Amino acid sequence: MNYSFDWSALWVHRDLIISGFVTTVELASISLVLATVLGIVIGTCGAVGSRGLRVLAIGWVELIRSVPLLIHMYIWYMALAVLRLPGFACAVLALSIYSSAYVTEIVRAGIENLPAGQAKAALASGLTQFQTLRLVIYPQVLRRILPSLASVFSQLIKDSSLASVIAVADITYEAGALDGMTFRTFEVYAMTLVLYLVLVSIVNQLLGALLSSSMRSSRPSPRELRDA
Amino acid sequence: MHDVIFVNRDFLAAGLLATLQISAISIVCGTLIGAVVALLRYLRVPFAARFCALYVGLIQGAPLLVVLLFCYFALPALFGYKTTAYWATVLSFSVFIGAYLAEDIRAGLQSVSPKLTQAALACGLTMPQVLRLVVLPIGVRSVIPPIISQYVRLIKFTSVASIISVQELTGNALLVNARVFEPATILSFVAIVYLIVCQAVSLFGRWLNARFAVRT
Repeated sequence: MNYSFDWSALWVHRDLIISGFVTTVELASISLVLATVLGIVIGTCGAVGSRGLRVLAIGWVELIRSVPLLIHMYIWYMALAVLRLPGFACAVLALSIYSSAYVTEIVRAGIENLPAGQAKAALASGLTQFQTLRLVIYPQVLRRILPSLASVFSQLIKDSSLASVIAVADITYEAGALDGMTFRTFEVYAMTLVLYLVLVSIVNQLLGALLSSSMRSSRPSPRELRDA
Repeated sequence: MHDVIFVNRDFLAAGLLATLQISAISIVCGTLIGAVVALLRYLRVPFAARFCALYVGLIQGAPLLVVLLFCYFALPALFGYKTTAYWATVLSFSVFIGAYLAEDIRAGLQSVSPKLTQAALACGLTMPQVLRLVVLPIGVRSVIPPIISQYVRLIKFTSVASIISVQELTGNALLVNARVFEPATILSFVAIVYLIVCQAVSLFGRWLNARFAVRT
């Protein structure tokens, strides 16, 4: 091993790295919100909707999940080129639709695992269907599925690296550019790995804190509700 | 419109074969890595367990694409060896999926009740025998679904190898597209092929689980 390290090249091009990192954060956070919203809507349809809606939701999940994310990206970027969407929009669409399938599955399983008496009691006490969902089902389900959601979110952040392929200037894209300019291959990719690791750790820590604070909240936990 | 697919069927079939080949090699190597790492962590082997925990943590925080580029560009530069895109792909996919499989397998091993291992030890089995005859069979059979879903994930991930110009299904499809430019036809064809392969593997996994899962 006679590789001479030179980390100064990274410092010289720090503006590129920062702008790539910001793009990654933007891409991941927009997709994260969209994927969560889409997943909750479709997952709820899959759990409490009519028979037809359930079949549609399951079909949607299987269809979306079985196609690689890279193909999703290319479909938006090349096959649907008539839409003339910029690369960033294609990446957001592909990432949020792809991840929403995973969120859907988690939400659906979460609602279905809730004791059926919860919804029945809520409806019997005069709440509308929508109120039942908003006041009884979601608060319990969201708290329970938070750990699974956290792993989908960190997956999403990592998956966002594929956007570099359709010319979104995220951190992976900038790493390739930097490598081409400086030939500091090892330093550049090691730094990229560390940046993703930091990003994923931050999100995990945040969600972990959210989880423990929701567990400590004054409201009764799902277990207490079920046993009561 | 579907002429493109028909005319290039041999080329696309070769791509599919390469995809399956890369998946198969990576699945075998990744499972071996995962099993060894899971055992080392389960047995709390000093030093090695720490090292394995570090490996799992690092990989779980890294995107596959960056691991792939790291194995293709950075590692050869660092250690001064030559590699091909194909073997860099296999190396990175095995290392990548190995970390996730290690966590799944470890969860399975830890789900085996300590009473069971204590009973086995009390019967006079040695520790290696307990592992081989009690902990591994029961533990692994209880985590078949997550392991299979990791395999499906890996098969989808092989499409990423096209980025470093490995000629697998996606790579070959993009080459065909570059020649005839019919992205809608070609990409939907590729999507359907992945759909069929992934669904087949999931179905096989469901059968495996129904056949071998530990019923409690």
